[in-house]
Amino acid sequence: MALISCKNVCLCYENNIVIENLNFSVTEGDYLCIVGENGSGKSTLIKSILGLKDTAAGHLHYGDGLTSKGVGYLPQQTTAQKDFPASVFEVVLSGCVSHKKNRFFFGRKEKDVAEENMKKLDIYELKNKCYRELSGGQQQRVLLARALCAGKRMLLLDEPVTGLDPVATMELYSLIRKINKELGVTIIMVSHDLHAAVANAEHILHLNKSDSFFGTTEEYLLSDVYSRFGGEKV
Amino acid sequence: MIDSLNFIFSQEFLVRGLIVGILISLSSALLGVSLVLKRFSMIGDGLSHVSFGAMAVACAANIAPLYFALPIVVVSAFLLLRMSESGKIKGDAAIALISTGALAVGIMATSVTTGMNIDIYNYMFGSILTMTDSDVIVSTVLSLIVIALFVIFYNEIFAITFDESFAKATGTKTSLYNTLIAVLTAVTIVIGMRMMGALLISALIIFPTVTSMRVCKSFRSVIICSAAISVFCFVSGILFSVKYETPTGATVVCLNIFVFAVFFVIRMINSKAFYGNKLLKRALLTITCILACSVYSVVLFAGTNAAEINSSNISVVTTAFAQYDFARNIVGDEGEVEMLLTPGEESHTYEPTPKDILKIKDCDVFIYGGGESEKWVDNILETIDSDVITVKMMEEVNLREEIHSEETHSDSHSHENHEHHESVYDEHVWTSPANAVSIVQAIYEAIVQADPENNEYYKQNTELYINELKKLDIDFYKMTSESKQKPVIIGDRFPLGYLMDRYKIEYYSAFPGCSAQTEANPVTIAELIYRVSYTQIPVVFKIDLGVGKVADIISEETGAEVRTLYSCHVISSEDFNNGEGYISLMRRNLENLAYAIK
Repeated sequence: MALISCKNVCLCYENNIVIENLNFSVTEGDYLCIVGENGSGKSTLIKSILGLKDTAAGHLHYGDGLTSKGVGYLPQQTTAQKDFPASVFEVVLSGCVSHKKNRFFFGRKEKDVAEENMKKLDIYELKNKCYRELSGGQQQRVLLARALCAGKRMLLLDEPVTGLDPVATMELYSLIRKINKELGVTIIMVSHDLHAAVANAEHILHLNKSDSFFGTTEEYLLSDVYSRFGGEKV
Repeated sequence: MIDSLNFIFSQEFLVRGLIVGILISLSSALLGVSLVLKRFSMIGDGLSHVSFGAMAVACAANIAPLYFALPIVVVSAFLLLRMSESGKIKGDAAIALISTGALAVGIMATSVTTGMNIDIYNYMFGSILTMTDSDVIVSTVLSLIVIALFVIFYNEIFAITFDESFAKATGTKTSLYNTLIAVLTAVTIVIGMRMMGALLISALIIFPTVTSMRVCKSFRSVIICSAAISVFCFVSGILFSVKYETPTGATVVCLNIFVFAVFFVIRMINSKAFYGNKLLKRALLTITCILACSVYSVVLFAGTNAAEINSSNISVVTTAFAQYDFARNIVGDEGEVEMLLTPGEESHTYEPTPKDILKIKDCDVFIYGGGESEKWVDNILETIDSDVITVKMMEEVNLREEIHSEETHSDSHSHENHEHHESVYDEHVWTSPANAVSIVQAIYEAIVQADPENNEYYKQNTELYINELKKLDIDFYKMTSESKQKPVIIGDRFPLGYLMDRYKIEYYSAFPGCSAQTEANPVTIAELIYRVSYTQIPVVFKIDLGVGKVADIISEETGAEVRTLYSCHVISSEDFNNGEGYISLMRRNLENLAYAIK
C-alpha cells in the first residue's frame, strides 16, 4: 500500500494555480526525487505533504498508518541557525518534541531515541559539541538525525546539499542512500541537482504546471521533459 | 558591601524592590534568549516605547497605568509579531512605525494635560523605589507566571526558536507558542518598565543573552547563564546605586555592559589558538577573570558609605531650597538641615535615591511642597512607616490655580483663549513673602513638636526671621506703589505667580506655570515681542536655572535687557556656596522688578 498517494491534485500559491493534475504515489522504501524549475511549486507541494497547506482540488492521502506528523522533515537552513548556541544533543532531541504527549519534559525514551539516531548517523561523538561550530556537512547530519527522531518511516528533504562543498555533498548523498537502503526509510528529496537525482533516486517527479512527469528514473531518462530540462539523453 | 547589604535588608522598600527586580530580571533573561535568537530583539525595544506611550496616556486620563498599559502592549506585541511574519511591512520598519507612533501619542497626551510630570519621568527612566504594595504584588505574580510558563514549555520554545519550520512540520503549534512568547514579553516589559524605565528595559532582555552567547555552547547553558548574569547585574546594580546614589536602572545596564565586555574578551582569547600554547591561553583567561573580579570588588568595596545621620540633634530634611532656607534659619546651630535636591539640580526631573528615602525615614521633620513635581513624596510616605513629622507647604497657604493656557498673564479672567483650563494648583507657594510667613510659622511648630526643649531658641529665631520677611513684604509694596506699573515680560517658565498676585503686578510669560515643557508656542513668542517693543519695556526676564531661550530671542528682537528672577525652588551651586538665602534672592528679585516696571 502506498504511503502517500496523490490523485488529480491542484495546488495554489497566493490564489494562482501553480500545479494542476498532479498524480504520484510513494511506496514504503521508495526514494523519490522532486525536481523542477524555480517557481514550479516545489515548496508548495512540500507544504501540502506536511499538512501545512490544503490542496485546492484533488486528493492527497497518507496510507499505511502514516500521518503528516510521522514525516521527518529537513528544512532549508536559516541564517539564524548558523550561530545558534545549542548542543548537538539538544538539536537532535528537539525532533522528539511532538512525541512527548501531555508531558512537559523529555523522558528516558526520547533521549534513547535521540542517542540511537546520532549513532546511526555517526555523530554520537559530537553529542556535546556546539551546533554552530560544526562544518556544514556535520550540521546537515545533525538535522537528519533530528528528522529521524520526528519520523522514522519517511524523510522529506528540502534541498539538503545547498551550501555544501563537493566532498560534503557526496558524503551527504551516500548517507541518504544508506538511510534509504539500510534503515529502510522512505525518502522524498527536493533537489536542484539533476545528476544526483537521477543517480540516486528510484522515482522522479518533475513538476510542471499542467503536465508533471512521474515515473521511474529509467523512464525519466528517456522522457522529453528530461532532455528539455537539460539532461543528456542516455 | 556588607554595610550596603545590611542597609538593603533593613529597609522594607528596598527588599520589596529587590524581590520584584530579581523576578523581573529572571523573566526578561529567559524570554530574551528566545527573542534574541529568533532575531526579534527589536520587538522588545519597540514594545517598551508602546508601553511608555500607554503609560503616558493612562497618566493623562488618570487610569492606573499598569492595568491600562498591559492589554495595549499585549495587543501590540501580537500585531508586531504578525506583521513581521506576514512580511507585508518588513519587521524593522513595522517596529519603527509602531514604537514612534506610540511615543508620539504619549507625548501628545501629556502635553494636553499636565506636561512632563514626575510620573511620566519615572516611567521613562524607572524608579524601583517608589513601587506601591499593589505594584509589587502584581509584578511578583506576573513574573512568576512568566517564569513558570517558560519552564513548562521549555522544549517547545527551544524547538520553535531553533527551527520554526521544522517544529511546524512535526505538529508543534508554532503560532500558539509565538503568541505565548509575545504575550510573556509584553507582560515582562510592562512590569519591568516601572523599575528600569522605558528607555532601558530592553537592555534587560537583550544584554544577558548576547553576553552568554559569547561563551556558552548549548541552549540550556545560555539560558542558565543569562538568568545568572541578569540577576547578578541587578543585585549588584542595587548595591552600587545604594552606595554611589546613582539611578538604579542605568546602573544595572552599565553592569550589563561591564559583564558583556568581560565575556567578549574571554571569547576573544578562547577563539585564538596562540600557536597551540595552551598555558598562555589559560594564563590570559585567568588574568582576565581576576582583573574583572578585582575591578568589580574594588568599585563595590572601596570608599566609605555616607556619614550616619547625627541622632543627638534635631534633623530636618527638605525637598527643595525655599523650605531648606526657612528651616535652616529656625534651627540655627541646634540641628542639621538637609536638602534632597543638590544645588544646581533640576527640580522637575529629580528622582529620589535609596539614600534620600532613608534620610526622609530617619529625620525628625520632613518639609516638602506637595505639588505636581513632588508626587513621589506621597508614594514614599505611604511605603515607609516612620513617625517623621511632615510639613506640606501647600496645606499652609491659600492656593492659586495654575492656568494651563498659552500666554499666561495676570488678568487672565478677561482673556478669551482659555481652551484647557485645568484646576492644577500652583505649587510655588513660597514665592510670596506673605505665604512664606505662614510656612515659616508651620515649620516652627513642627520643629518645636520634634524638639520641645529648645523652644525658646527656635522661637527667637523664628520671630527674627518673620520680621525680615515682613520687611521684605513692605518693600515690595513700596516698590509697586512707586512705579509706573509697566507689565513684566518673562521669556521662560513662570513659577512666581504668588508673588505677582500679591503685589498685583501685570505679567506675561512664555510658558504657563512651571511645566517642564520646553517648546514655546510661536504665537505667544510673537505676542511677547510685540508687547515689549510696543510698550518699550526695558527688561525681559528669565528664571534662574530655567530654559531662558525664549528670553534670549525676545531680547535679540527688541533690544531689551535680559535679567533673572529667582524662584527659590532650586539654587545654583554658586549662590549656594556664597550663602545666599530666600531673603537675599527675593531682594534681588525686588531690585530687578523695580528696574523693569519703573
